[in-house]
Amino acid sequence: MKTRLPEHGPVETPRFWRTLEERIETPEARQAAHDEFLPGGVPSGINYDDVHGLPPQSGVSRRDFLGLVSAAAALAATVACDRKGQGTVVPYTKRPVEVVPGVANYYASAHQEGRRVYPVLVKTREGRPIHLTGNDEHPGVKGKTSPRTMADVLRLYDPDRLRAPKSEGWVVGWPEAESRLHAALKGAKGAGKPVLLISGAVASPSRKALLAEFKAALPTLEHLAYEPVAGDAAEEAAKASFGQPVYLQPRLAKAKVILSLGADFLNGEDPEALGAWGAQRRLKNAHDPINRLWVLEGPLTLTGTNADQRFPVTPSRLGAAAFALAKELAAKGLPLPAGSDLSALSTGVPQGVDIPAKAWTSLVKDLRAAGRNAVVLCGAQMPAEAHQAAHLLNAMLGSEAVAAVPAEPLATVKDLEAAAQKMASGAYAAAIFWDVNPAYTFPQAAAWKAAVAKVPFRAWIGQVEDETAAQCQVLLPESHWLESWGDFSTPTAAVLQQPAIGTLYETRQGEEVLLDALKALGAAVPEAYHAYLQARWKKELPLGTSFEQALHDGLVKVEAKASSPAFKGASVAAAAKRAAESKAEGLELVLFPGFATHDGRHANNSWLQETPDPISKMTWDNPVALSVQDAKALGVDEGDLVTLSLDGVTLRLPAVIQPGQAKGVLALALGYGRTTGGVAKGVGVDAFPLLGLDPTAPNVRKGVRLAKAGGRKELSRTQSHHRMEGRDLVRSLTMDEFAHNPQGHHHTPELVTLYEEQRFPDHKWGMVIDLAACVGCSACIVACQSENNVPVVGPEQVARGREMHWIRIDRYYEGELENPKVVHQPMLCQHCDNAPCENVCPVNATNHSPEGLNQMAYNRCVGTRYCANNCPYKVRRFNFLEYTAYKTEPETLAYNPEVTVRPRGVMEKCSFCVQRINDVKIRAKGDGRAILDGEITTACMAGCPSDAIVFGDLKDPKSKVSQLVAATRAYRVLEELGVKPAITYLADLKNPALEGGHHEA
Amino acid sequence: MADEIRKPILDRLAALVAGPFLLGREAVSLAFRPDKAAPPETPPDLTPLRLTVTPPEHAIKRRG
Repeated sequence: MKTRLPEHGPVETPRFWRTLEERIETPEARQAAHDEFLPGGVPSGINYDDVHGLPPQSGVSRRDFLGLVSAAAALAATVACDRKGQGTVVPYTKRPVEVVPGVANYYASAHQEGRRVYPVLVKTREGRPIHLTGNDEHPGVKGKTSPRTMADVLRLYDPDRLRAPKSEGWVVGWPEAESRLHAALKGAKGAGKPVLLISGAVASPSRKALLAEFKAALPTLEHLAYEPVAGDAAEEAAKASFGQPVYLQPRLAKAKVILSLGADFLNGEDPEALGAWGAQRRLKNAHDPINRLWVLEGPLTLTGTNADQRFPVTPSRLGAAAFALAKELAAKGLPLPAGSDLSALSTGVPQGVDIPAKAWTSLVKDLRAAGRNAVVLCGAQMPAEAHQAAHLLNAMLGSEAVAAVPAEPLATVKDLEAAAQKMASGAYAAAIFWDVNPAYTFPQAAAWKAAVAKVPFRAWIGQVEDETAAQCQVLLPESHWLESWGDFSTPTAAVLQQPAIGTLYETRQGEEVLLDALKALGAAVPEAYHAYLQARWKKELPLGTSFEQALHDGLVKVEAKASSPAFKGASVAAAAKRAAESKAEGLELVLFPGFATHDGRHANNSWLQETPDPISKMTWDNPVALSVQDAKALGVDEGDLVTLSLDGVTLRLPAVIQPGQAKGVLALALGYGRTTGGVAKGVGVDAFPLLGLDPTAPNVRKGVRLAKAGGRKELSRTQSHHRMEGRDLVRSLTMDEFAHNPQGHHHTPELVTLYEEQRFPDHKWGMVIDLAACVGCSACIVACQSENNVPVVGPEQVARGREMHWIRIDRYYEGELENPKVVHQPMLCQHCDNAPCENVCPVNATNHSPEGLNQMAYNRCVGTRYCANNCPYKVRRFNFLEYTAYKTEPETLAYNPEVTVRPRGVMEKCSFCVQRINDVKIRAKGDGRAILDGEITTACMAGCPSDAIVFGDLKDPKSKVSQLVAATRAYRVLEELGVKPAITYLADLKNPALEGGHHEA
Repeated sequence: MADEIRKPILDRLAALVAGPFLLGREAVSLAFRPDKAAPPETPPDLTPLRLTVTPPEHAIKRRG
């Protein structure tokens, strides 16, 4: 049902664009918009050579072909008579007490990434953890978590996991491996020689206590907690501003005005911030209060795409801009903290900061008016002086929207450099690397490896053999966190981590290795870490709370401690001077943690590798992003191979052009270019060698040289896939427009249909997606992938437009290339009542349920793909190749048994999580009651941290979804086609200060 | 002509003898299936065909 566009063009001339080609309106883009699919996504014309990925035709005649088919059929019949593969079906007689076949169990647990702690709820089926959501009882995260945490269930079933200890490359038992470690530790203790232990961040009080006991038993122990992408500059700045390491936690529920200095707090990592953001953006009417987000940043971040006012600023000038703001606010009467000296700065907009005077004045006014309800946040990768300026501004404003929480210190790149020098001098008797990979993350990897080789005994504790493991004599396989015990501190609750499955292999958690070492060193400690944890917690728990209850809930609520470290005004002068002197020199490279890979620890996770980057929409790669202006000046086109050189390091990689990126700024993701791991190996380039050794700005490097290297690389990028002919798809309103003309110049066409009105006797399922609350973090994509067994297809297939995600996030730009506004729009099957896909299916494989679901009968589908052609939303996905059948354990253990795994040749798409609908229906029927509103949650809805997605029964007029459908911002995508979609979108909202926003945020 | 008649008879005779022999051998092999022990030089398989999934010890489930 391909609708012809009217002669005069689409219903509305689109002001939104997704790719540079669309913006410039090249003939190719115009053609592509009408082609809908990528050339590789569907065979075109009469050339069927490429169909289904088969090799080219060999000129076999029809007669030969039929002969071969007959022979194949005969052979298949013969082989089918074989008795091989005959299994035995046995009843589940030795069933564990907790496991009831077909019934899911849920365990509360927790996950840590750097200093961040994610309380989670683990869904297990027949003993296997299969899906993660946030712990709904935690007062901060309220049932939400991050995309990477959700995807981490796949790491449990990573086939590359080390399954037994190794010594000198040979598989050995735990006693033998540990005896070598213990001998080395005893030898070091006896000789009084230091032992180096490098671990990740310590966020667990019990781990901290254990490390203290370890230090007491082995006084020569030197411990470094190292997080390569936590931000050394932030650590250095916190020590300068507060005299101790702190973790700055945004409390956005209290924020009316937010100023971001390159801070990407909406990137999906912080579910608490996203929850608060969503709550302030889901407006029912134009008079509801709304916050305002100002963003000054170099590369375009996800937070920047959600800004109300955004200005591209070179990172090296951010500090100067922020201190100038402080000076301006001080001149307007806000008191400077005692000892603060800003005399090094001149007034007004600093040089090299391209912010119009009117906007500058408006920003100062906004911050001053909001006072304690204003907050300034700085990105972890930004230089230390920008952080210190943010600390100063928050102190001046008396901001209540950020809390400085004291934290355990983290080692910086400088500390690691010192450790490397000490190793090289032969000072250490032994080194233990626990869940860290400095051989990959340390900028000077060769020097690090040479230094490590000088340590007589080297042990590694981890899950997948990595670059660091390759240098160690003893490898101790670590349990996944879903197999481990632990505890963590969060500001509002102490969080407990418990295993949701017994260990799959001969693994132990790192704490148990330390306990065994303590025993070997003569300390009296419990046998297992569970007992150690329990003994500690029984002393700490409040009266009336048992350890079992705390495990059940996954947390113990604690009163928030009010004492925050005070800001030291004396630290300002030096930072302000540095900021004033800091100049942009040549091209400036910003190295940031990869959305999928973080610091490389998730690089072996195929779900994450295939999740498109929220902004660039890149998968399976980390090209360098450059601004539109620089691309023009250097003559670089998208996909061109370039060389990036600095300090003797040269990388050869593809380039992408990023609208909105500041001129003179390059951006490159860390965590790629791994040399180990079945999935990670060889994906992208390793950018860690470009990281600086100055801890005040290791992630911002000046004087980078970029040159065309010749040649191109095909990018596995999804932003131009699944085109919808430039129709009116996405709507964005300013607050003025929302107040006065929410439907704008969009007109709802009169719909005429030949079809009978459909009747839905019991329920009519529907969804509402609020574009104002959606930040584009992609949590919904990962949640859907995990819930619905969505296959991974790999970079080559993605490049051909064959990715399989049931939900995608379309990212639209609006306005100028140099600084566009951005709107994110989740797009999934719209479950149309007059579904165009249903009419054209020759075998009725896709049809309509009596509850309004557009459903698929997979075993009926013959793969004509007519439905995908006829779907105006381009949300149907075809299994061009066999993506799943060759998977074996342990990978298959991650499957959700409630969802069919689809074979080759079958079409699939969003089912509105029909298995969840049926689960609730069955439970409600068993209880003899009606289904409650909000009881059914689709995976994307449950995973959405900003609560942008609401699912429910449209037949129930009191349901939340029914009420939202009637909202003034509501519209349906492509409503004019008369397909009657079941998904309603609420238009995006922007609250600019200059034109069209609320006068007061 | 005689040869042409004789050949199928020989074939039929061969089938009459071989058929029951092959079927009988198959039946015997099914009834007395020899243990398929790995040759002694095969290293022990570190990766079992099926993984044993065990419930977590001491953990307290939320619901299920």
